[in-house]
Amino acid sequence: MRKNFRIALAGNPNCGKTCIFNALTGARQHVGNYPGVTVESKSGKFMLEDIEIELIDLPGVYSLSSSSPEEGVVFQELTKPGIDLIVNVVDSTIPRRSLYLTTQLAELHIPMLLTFNMADDAKKKGLQFDLPKLEKYFGSPIVQTVATSSSGVKPLLATLKTTLGTLDDHGVPMLSYGADIDDAINAVAEKIEALNVTRYAHIPARFFAIKLLERDSSALKIAEFSPVYSEVEAQIKHLWDKHAIEADTFMADRRYAMLAGACRDAISSTLEKRREISDRIDAVMTNKFLGLPLFFLIMFLTFLFSFTVAEPLMGCIEDFFGWLGDAVGDVWSADRAPLLRDLVIRGVIDGVGGVLVFLPQILLLFFAIAVLEESGYMARAAFVMDGIMRKFGLQGKSFVPLVLGFGCNVPAIMATRTIESERDRRITIMVLPLMSCSARLPIHSLIIGAFFAAYTTAGKASMFVLIYLIGVAFALVAAQFMKSSLFKGEGEVYLMELPPYRMPTLKSLMLHMWDRGRMYLHKAGTIILVTSVLLYICNNYPEKKTFSQDYDAKIAAVEANAKLDNEAKEAAVSELENTRQAEALEYTVSGRVGKFLEPVFKPLGFDWKVVTAAIGGLAAKEVFVSQMGILYSEGEADEESEPLRTKLAKVYTPLQGFCIMLFCLLSIPCLATLAIIKRELNSWVAAIGEGAGLFLLAYLVTLIVYQAGKALDIGTRLLG
Amino acid sequence: MTENACGKIGSGAGKSLAELPVGAKATILNVMPRSRGRKKFADVGIVPGTELHVEAHAPFGGLIRVRVMGCSMALHRDDAAEIMMREVRHA
Repeated sequence: MRKNFRIALAGNPNCGKTCIFNALTGARQHVGNYPGVTVESKSGKFMLEDIEIELIDLPGVYSLSSSSPEEGVVFQELTKPGIDLIVNVVDSTIPRRSLYLTTQLAELHIPMLLTFNMADDAKKKGLQFDLPKLEKYFGSPIVQTVATSSSGVKPLLATLKTTLGTLDDHGVPMLSYGADIDDAINAVAEKIEALNVTRYAHIPARFFAIKLLERDSSALKIAEFSPVYSEVEAQIKHLWDKHAIEADTFMADRRYAMLAGACRDAISSTLEKRREISDRIDAVMTNKFLGLPLFFLIMFLTFLFSFTVAEPLMGCIEDFFGWLGDAVGDVWSADRAPLLRDLVIRGVIDGVGGVLVFLPQILLLFFAIAVLEESGYMARAAFVMDGIMRKFGLQGKSFVPLVLGFGCNVPAIMATRTIESERDRRITIMVLPLMSCSARLPIHSLIIGAFFAAYTTAGKASMFVLIYLIGVAFALVAAQFMKSSLFKGEGEVYLMELPPYRMPTLKSLMLHMWDRGRMYLHKAGTIILVTSVLLYICNNYPEKKTFSQDYDAKIAAVEANAKLDNEAKEAAVSELENTRQAEALEYTVSGRVGKFLEPVFKPLGFDWKVVTAAIGGLAAKEVFVSQMGILYSEGEADEESEPLRTKLAKVYTPLQGFCIMLFCLLSIPCLATLAIIKRELNSWVAAIGEGAGLFLLAYLVTLIVYQAGKALDIGTRLLG
Repeated sequence: MTENACGKIGSGAGKSLAELPVGAKATILNVMPRSRGRKKFADVGIVPGTELHVEAHAPFGGLIRVRVMGCSMALHRDDAAEIMMREVRHA
């Protein structure tokens, strides 16, 4: 017997396929992308005794009709040679709907193993299966599983072993579309066989004949079949003329009719129970009046959970990087490669550490969102939010990614893949960067703390809410604008399943959280790392050797001055050191670039220091705060550093402060976001256009606000 | 309500899915050939002869939730208007 096999896992969305995949492969998964489309590809390897199995987790589909990119991918993968076995996962609580895909898979004549999943629920529901009869009908062995527990998957492994041993004599399905259509299928199949298309020699001609008669777009893309089109059209016309059968739906009609017959013979149902609890929950959750308030409450709790639980963990990470910087400083003596030492400690450790601090918050937010998704609530959220979102040119399914955007825009943009309508998906991606992500939070805290410190706690909180709402408002207006200008025309047909509520398993929650958290870690390890190093270099070089005054001498003079007490000495020395540092900074690349661009940003109320920080912020928004800190010579400033706030309040007016926040909110959050937009829209033009568009938006809005504020004399007095 | 009073349909052909109240059960008569979602709907069992159960209407219009072949599916009101029903039974 052979020692390695390739197995494809196919099934409907929500059938528990991913649970089975996770149970079989564990953490040995490879996640990637199918070329040219934004459909995730997943594969994994596992050992079945001494046999190595490569398992391909195909995207969940209802049919092989190519009416979505996922269905196109499944069609491509299954018609490629090299698949030894299809494991078709069937939600056995809804056999008729789930077996619809099975009828099409059976036509491929690839050996198949049917997995009747959720056997426990089916039993509770009172469904009884005559398995031998069904096995004969589909020409495939059937095994019952309960994918939510690891023991429930064991029967699959045993059957898999025997099935792989007997691949050569797999059965033939007994599927007939009725005499009239079968005649048409046979006529087309004969012509296809005569073509001798070697690329698809392993697939029966009947499969392609059926697909061509359905006018399936994937089958029509196969150029080799073009000589039979005339026969196909003739048969379609014949069916319509003689039997009044319509081309685009007759196969679906007949498949459901076949299944109705098979189910009558082999499946009996005694009671309808499983959905009862789920329906009772939904009577409240998707209630016309209660649905929305409940949704907002759940969203609020989600954020509350991730922010409060993350707080102590973030403290730990902060401490760790502080310790790491000190430890490296101790081990690496200052006289060995001092430039590199500074770069590592102040550039790399502080830069990357500052970003990794947010990791717990982001992981917890993704965990909470995974709970909502896996339990089935997200589909309900999309259902209740659809009406509101549609008024702004978006739709229900846009909502979840927009919420994710408050955590981090990068995985949020990836999450738009659940939106089937390409137009709605594009619009959602384009407006997503306006969701104020957690990287912009430090900027908001810094500015609000500095300029609105006199406000009460509630007043400050409303400032936070205001800045988030400004982002949301711009996103909605932009979506509306894009829908009516750039992306006109009708969207996809909306069809969404609301699966019954399920208790999520910890394993799948962890996998889900990790999948998305990885993106953030990746960003920290690549873009943030590089930017930190670059900014460190720009902030320190070229080094100024000769200063306008001899600071060392002056400091020495102050130290030697007997008239001053210690406190006054310290203040004078630090004043001198700050001035020296500022002078050195103006000489560096950052200072020069900032000075050069200052005239452009002057109308926005920005001086050269803000300009350099904003440029750093283009790479990643977190950098803005640390750059301001460096420029105001506070060393490692974070948003809690009181002195930086006090200094800012002395130098800038509240209006300028607000404009800084506004500009950072509306411009592109980070390079990683641009990179992911490029990947998801598969276009450099879109990504660059997005960056430029947001910059322009940020510039114009800030310009208007600053100039209007100045004209009306609002917030123009210095506080310090 | 008589059929003629519901505006969208003339000549007593039956009601569309969009016009059924929450709780109604009915059998699909046909899906209009002009419907864009015809094939997609057919794949989830929305074909003539299938029984549908209207489970809910979403807030602010738009979506309709129906039970079809044991599954809850949400579809848009405009598309539901292209699905013609017969044998309407109210809950």
